[in-house]
Amino acid sequence: MDNPNTSFQTLFDNLEQNLRQIKQTLGNSGDIVIRTIPLSRHGKRMITLIYIDGMADKKLVNDFIVESLMSNSNSAEDKDDLDKNGFEDDVQSLKNSVLALGSINDLTDFEAVYNAVLSGDTVILIDGYTAGMSADTKGWKDRGVTEPASENVVRGPREGFSESIGINIALIRRKIKSPDLRMDKKQIGRVTRTEIGIMYVKSIANDKIVKEVHARLDRIDIDGILESGYIEELIQDSNFTPFPTVFNTERPDVVAAELLEGKVAILVDGTPYTLIVPAPFISFLHAAEDYYQRADISSFIRILRFMGIFISLLGPSLYIAITNFHQELLPTQLLIGLAAQREDIPFPAFIEAFIMEATFEILREAGVRMPKYIGAAVSIVGTLVIGSAAVEAGVVSAVMVIVVSLTAISSFVIPAYNVAIAFRMLRFPMMGLAASFGLFGIMFGIILLILHLCSLRTFGVPYMSPFAPLTPADQKDTLVRFPHWLMRTRPRLANQKNVNRLNPAPSRKSRE
Amino acid sequence: MNRRYFIYMFISLVWVSFLTGCWNRKEMNELAIVLAAGIDKVDDRYRFSAQVVDPGQVSSRKGGGGGRAPATLYTEEADTIFEAVRKITRISPRKLYFSHLRIFVIDESLAKEGMAEVLDFLNRDHEIRSDFYIVVSKGVKAEDTLKILTAVETIPANQLFSSLDASERNWSPSMTVTIDSLIDDLISDGKNPVLTGLRVVGELETGKSKRNVENIDPPGRLRYSGLAVFKKDRLIGWLNEDESRGYNFIMDNVKSSVGNVTCPGEGKVIGEVIRANTVVKGMVYRGRPQVNINVRIEGNVGEVECATLDLTKKDTIRELEKKMGKKIGKSMESVIEKAQNSYKSDIFGFGKAIRRSNPKAWKTLKKGWDEEYFTDLRVTINVDYKIRGTGTMGKSFLNEMK
Repeated sequence: MDNPNTSFQTLFDNLEQNLRQIKQTLGNSGDIVIRTIPLSRHGKRMITLIYIDGMADKKLVNDFIVESLMSNSNSAEDKDDLDKNGFEDDVQSLKNSVLALGSINDLTDFEAVYNAVLSGDTVILIDGYTAGMSADTKGWKDRGVTEPASENVVRGPREGFSESIGINIALIRRKIKSPDLRMDKKQIGRVTRTEIGIMYVKSIANDKIVKEVHARLDRIDIDGILESGYIEELIQDSNFTPFPTVFNTERPDVVAAELLEGKVAILVDGTPYTLIVPAPFISFLHAAEDYYQRADISSFIRILRFMGIFISLLGPSLYIAITNFHQELLPTQLLIGLAAQREDIPFPAFIEAFIMEATFEILREAGVRMPKYIGAAVSIVGTLVIGSAAVEAGVVSAVMVIVVSLTAISSFVIPAYNVAIAFRMLRFPMMGLAASFGLFGIMFGIILLILHLCSLRTFGVPYMSPFAPLTPADQKDTLVRFPHWLMRTRPRLANQKNVNRLNPAPSRKSRE
Repeated sequence: MNRRYFIYMFISLVWVSFLTGCWNRKEMNELAIVLAAGIDKVDDRYRFSAQVVDPGQVSSRKGGGGGRAPATLYTEEADTIFEAVRKITRISPRKLYFSHLRIFVIDESLAKEGMAEVLDFLNRDHEIRSDFYIVVSKGVKAEDTLKILTAVETIPANQLFSSLDASERNWSPSMTVTIDSLIDDLISDGKNPVLTGLRVVGELETGKSKRNVENIDPPGRLRYSGLAVFKKDRLIGWLNEDESRGYNFIMDNVKSSVGNVTCPGEGKVIGEVIRANTVVKGMVYRGRPQVNINVRIEGNVGEVECATLDLTKKDTIRELEKKMGKKIGKSMESVIEKAQNSYKSDIFGFGKAIRRSNPKAWKTLKKGWDEEYFTDLRVTINVDYKIRGTGTMGKSFLNEMK
């Protein structure tokens, strides 16, 4: 909006004309309130307020604008020299003394007027004056700061972002009270004109990455941004990959932590999900709580998580490969037990696994989409159908149910939903490889997967860093988490300029 | 253009992968899992028997333990073993799967004629692993040993495998021999192979029927007894239990064992070997080969059956140590003597020991080792028996019972 373009039509000095033009453009929408009041008791000069019912806070408009204008018009009774004095003084005095509102901007063209009105401000136009004012009266019903639904912690802050970008920014500001925390605003979306905020800590973030974020956001030309997912897809480095290269979170503490590592946050109005770039693979496997619990606990949980990834990717494929090609790998008793269960199963293990996995995915999706009250019913039916009836009916073997449920549960230990889904999707080709080539196929699949992961980049940073390329100093916060007192330096991937997280300890020599 | 080319390539690759048709894929319920196999010779043909597990009958799921036996036996005859194995598909619904073979029984009469040809198949086939045990049936056809039903371990093959393992570890007159060590013994000079014997005791016919396991005291049982002595690949005789134990002491093959000596008065004292270490050293002294065997044994007193023994005294312990050492030495001597005189077969690898210490002399000794030099070989045995503990009691309560 603060992009004065020469093609934008400037305001007329005739109020009537202005109003006519505005009404015509906004199409006489019912929710637009246009209210005209005289500026002084006898004055012919009129003043008009324009705001949208529901987006502007009515109380603010009444108490601070209408009220003060009214009282002003009463006191300005004897001052008949308003006409004689310059309009500038008039407007200035209104701004300075009359309007008791925090933020007031000048408007000169219609485009700015529309922008202000449509984003909830109240526009004040004065007859005979070619500049208007917009008063910040934004105030609509907000969900408020509630506990984040998708990222739960046992220990840690319970506040989550809401849909309003102003509140979200404030939540981050409250965590980082440094003058170095910067916020650049943008408006993206030709029709939706969504507000976007780019946040970073100036002294830590890599300027190149900040510049790159700006450049990529500026290149976006789309009619609407309704969620940060739009932005994510439009700025990601690589489109042909199941893996996300942009991190998203609805936790202000996570954003704050990432900002302190030199990353850049992209806030989008209208969604609690904030984007963070660059996002190497490992950041999707770290949960907020890893840093709040003791280091040993966190490390243990992280190791569990990596096991979970392994199982969720390879569980059914390993089962298929071993039971179809490498029966000699099983202990004899186990082989006999498994063979006994498979005696009556009509399908090959691959089909069996495929049926079960597909059933599970359907149930999971149904559980997510269903209203909460029906969701429970779905899961009960699901467990009954998959768990016992299918085994009883001899459609699948009991071991397969164990394998599939273990796989399903394992995939839920991955903190990032989108990465969990990525691994769940890759499970199917892996199963195919396992069913056609056994363990060789699985190995082939893993090699392909690793090659692919290593080829990805996220805002110029290698996706698999700090593993490939290997940065020994950054291993302190990857597979395990070192105690905070050992994590002296920030990760090197995104920033090189402000490396020390802790004050460097005095060396032994200087202490003596 | 380039992109389209890539897409075509990708699609055709995907379709090609469907053409492979899952090479070599076998579902578990398409396998006939062979756990035990045996070989007999009938006239000039091999008779191959495979004990195939019936998974549905073994598993603990409901419906298991029904009317069928836990395993079934497929038997076929052919001129060669491999042909016999493949011929079994005529009677078996599935192809035999050998990876989980636990035990392989060679018939006694076949072993007497020479068993080398049998082993090639076992060693060559890629499916067969080398961790199964080989035994020789004693006084019974190999096929029949695979027909006995067993309790506790419902699959007879598992019973045979575990029992051999346990008895080698705790009793010591039997020994586990895998295909690798057997072939190793066959091809190296200065060592002849030995295999554990497997007998059927009791009623063979009842043992074959399900009634066998319905009794608390099964009428027919499988039992390991003694070692079979080979000369090259031919079975030439058997060692009894005592000799077998002596043999295992010489071979440093004893993990734990039990043996008795008589008390000063009457009754017996039983010692339990908890650790044994044998070093066999060969040498050539004035052109004559000789062998020194040093055995260091640590044991506990496991049982006292006489009243006169006072285990709290040092002298008594010394005395016991000496006696027990002597007893073990004797059984070692007896087995050496038997091998030298009756069988003329170096089953101990003394020849190997001499080759190691004096390879030059071995070159001349090698020829006719078993017949000439081994039979006259001077063997000195030195047993050092140490009693480490007397159990939870010192003196036996028998002392006070008078």
